[in-house]
Amino acid sequence: MSTQHSKAAEVYQQHTEVVQRHDQTFFGVRQKRDRMAQALPEWERLREAASQIKKHTITHLADYLETFEANAVRNGVHVHWAADADEYNRIVYDILSQHQVKKVVKSKSMLTEECHLNENLEKRGIDVVETDLGERILQLMKLAPSHIVMPALHVHREDIGNTFRKLIPNFDEIAQSYAAVGSMPADENDPTFLTFVARMHLRQQFAEAEAGMTGANFGIAETGDVVVCTNEGNADMSTSIPKLHIVSMGIEKLIPNYEAMGVFQRLLARNGTGQETTVYTSHFRGPRPGGEMHIILVDNGRSSILGNEEHWQTLKCMRCGACMNTCPVYRRSAGYSYTYFIPGPIGINLGMLRDPRQYSDNVSACSLCCSCDNVCPAKVDLSTQVYRWRQQLDSLGKADPMKKMMSQGMSFLFNHPSVYKTALKCSPMVNWVPAPLMNLKLNPWAYGHQMMKFPKKSFHELWKEVII
Amino acid sequence: MSSREEILGRLRENTRETYNFPDLSGMNPITFSDPVAEFIKKTTTTAGAQLIEMQEGDDLNELIRRAYPDAKLLASNLPGITADLNPDTVEHVEELMKIDVGIIEGRIGVAENACIWIPQQMKEKAVCFASEYLVIVLKREDVVSNMHEAYARLASSAEYFQQYKFGTFISGPSKTADIESALVYGAQAARGVTVLLQ
Repeated sequence: MSTQHSKAAEVYQQHTEVVQRHDQTFFGVRQKRDRMAQALPEWERLREAASQIKKHTITHLADYLETFEANAVRNGVHVHWAADADEYNRIVYDILSQHQVKKVVKSKSMLTEECHLNENLEKRGIDVVETDLGERILQLMKLAPSHIVMPALHVHREDIGNTFRKLIPNFDEIAQSYAAVGSMPADENDPTFLTFVARMHLRQQFAEAEAGMTGANFGIAETGDVVVCTNEGNADMSTSIPKLHIVSMGIEKLIPNYEAMGVFQRLLARNGTGQETTVYTSHFRGPRPGGEMHIILVDNGRSSILGNEEHWQTLKCMRCGACMNTCPVYRRSAGYSYTYFIPGPIGINLGMLRDPRQYSDNVSACSLCCSCDNVCPAKVDLSTQVYRWRQQLDSLGKADPMKKMMSQGMSFLFNHPSVYKTALKCSPMVNWVPAPLMNLKLNPWAYGHQMMKFPKKSFHELWKEVII
Repeated sequence: MSSREEILGRLRENTRETYNFPDLSGMNPITFSDPVAEFIKKTTTTAGAQLIEMQEGDDLNELIRRAYPDAKLLASNLPGITADLNPDTVEHVEELMKIDVGIIEGRIGVAENACIWIPQQMKEKAVCFASEYLVIVLKREDVVSNMHEAYARLASSAEYFQQYKFGTFISGPSKTADIESALVYGAQAARGVTVLLQ
């Protein structure tokens, strides 16, 4: 029996060039992250500090949330609490409908993906426009993100160009204004040109929208700040023109103060994209003149994760995506092979915490190489946690029956030395079985590689010869 | 019970062992013998911005004009800057999307990553983002080595707990690499940035 992940990965593997390109793209980001790490002698101290600050904050979270709320309210912000996705969606809709909002510009937020906000709003007749370029590309193509930080790197420029030409109503007009200041590029899908088209298209959206929505990279308890980091400035544009700003923030995003912020600001971009900083690190404390700012604090399972002794430290995650970039399985199977909307090592764990029966197919997507544990800036023990989930598969009724049978067989073998020794003596006989019979599909050992050759003398025998 | 009480209650109930905030005094972060030189280097390389070092006798307005000779609409509320528009006087914020060059003031420069702290000192923060090009005026003595120093300075400043509604660190022009990892400047916000170091 194979998991959904391994089946999907197998299909993905058939396109060798696509796999290579994906692998190289994200390994490139991993290498940039390494250069960042090597440039700072205090790198490991930063990681340790990040881990300790998060552990401190998470284990005092109720107090910090109360402080944060009080300070945000003092700053003139409306604070809401949502226990789950339904309540969150309801609150957002209520705020938007009170302000008669028809169009929302939105900067990237994985929390809104988690709660299916866009579908909910669109069903109720509100137009949602993603403003991060990658997210906008995916939205127009009706695709889901394949990575949490670089969501559309798996899409090729030809497809982006075709989508823009088809779906951006004033494409030709924008193209003409591009040609007016320079000249049209030889490649009609040139990234600089397509980015210009998106810029003009999105700036029109900023001007038309009545509300802007952002996520939150960090919330600062001591001041009530919400911090949003982007390279494009789309979170800033989304909140500079419309009068209404709604922040969606998972409760685990809180940190105590600016001292802590210094640590995380230095880690986020270095780990996420291999940059020393994002272009914008914006601190929001209140609305535009005459406007309103709302913060929705979303639980949706997070407070229960805190009670999970083996997995509570996933709450330290700051969603930089470094674990995905380093993961050999993610790089070669890509985001859509996973059944949870967040892929890679952190996604495997968050999916299991969401619903272990529904998302157990992803725990096979790990070779236990532990690279993610070693790069995670907040020291989340990702692969160790994957290992723990695997131990629980049987109790969840999700163990692979073949592996279970093999384990039982091996258990019998190792508990009966005489049977084991006989089996060992007989094993070279397998070598005489004709290869076509051994390398059948029925033999999982022979899948993807040749059946091994058993040695004449076992290690057991060699060991005895040397010792005696 | 409200969701607020429910969430806070569950968090308190689910907290077992607690941990202290770490002592960060041993961080010993990277510093530079000449932070200004490092800031200039980072601004003009990784951040992708222009930088003009003002010399004695230089005229600020002239330097800006020379940097953007074709600009039609210069906007600023800074005293001493000759601009076509004081952005604080416009009625509709959308008008700020027509600005060619916005001229604003930075309070802290950070050598390690070319970030410049800009607390909102204008009516609409849109000036900092909607302008096609941005000029940031910064004093040399306001350059620090790293983000720890920058945040420490902010936390000890008078404005920390005051009611400024917004502040941002900006490091160069808006950029993206969302199409096949190709780096392109001028995503949604300013397409170019010039730092004027006083």
